[in-house]
Amino acid sequence: MALSYREKSLYASLLAELVVYSSYFVLRRQNSVDKVAAMILAIIVLQIVLQAIIALFSRNRVTDERDRLIELRGYRAGYLTFATLMVMGLALLWFHATFGHLPINNGKFGLHFLSVFFGMLVIADIVKTATQIVTYRRAL
Amino acid sequence: MPAIRNRIRELRAAREMTQQQLADQVGVTRQTVIAMEQDKYSPSLETAFKVALALGVTLEQCFQYEPRGKR
Repeated sequence: MALSYREKSLYASLLAELVVYSSYFVLRRQNSVDKVAAMILAIIVLQIVLQAIIALFSRNRVTDERDRLIELRGYRAGYLTFATLMVMGLALLWFHATFGHLPINNGKFGLHFLSVFFGMLVIADIVKTATQIVTYRRAL
Repeated sequence: MPAIRNRIRELRAAREMTQQQLADQVGVTRQTVIAMEQDKYSPSLETAFKVALALGVTLEQCFQYEPRGKR
């Protein structure tokens, strides 16, 4: 399986996303602002390290119009996922707030809000990267 | 089946050119050349012209358009 530079880069991104974000889903009961900030920092550091390693071992780092087209398809899939989850997330928050499970004046509301929206970003990001990988494997 | 077919593989083989050599001349990745040869990717007009130029043929000799309804 011959992989282009962009494909290798995408596999590294997906690996970093799954490794870092899995803690979000596994430890979701202990969510906090600090944990979200640490995850964002971890994903940035891991991405820089992995991308640097790939760039170091890739002789040919050409990207072309097909790469850009596949990138756009990935972003479209990610956006549609994010938009869908946003509507569902807002409905969920409204439901909780309306039926008294999660009072808006409660301090937990902010954290719950942050968790839900960070989760959406995580899922949308993974969908974006996975879509790009699948599109590459299908040739287009 | 795609509406745009091409003879890249045949023309490239006739010139004993590798996929990587063609990719380098056109300025695309080898994977894009593979995708084009397999008719899985229709390039932009600019890239199509570059491919034809690299293979030393006209655009029509390299790419053929077959409207979907006419096959």
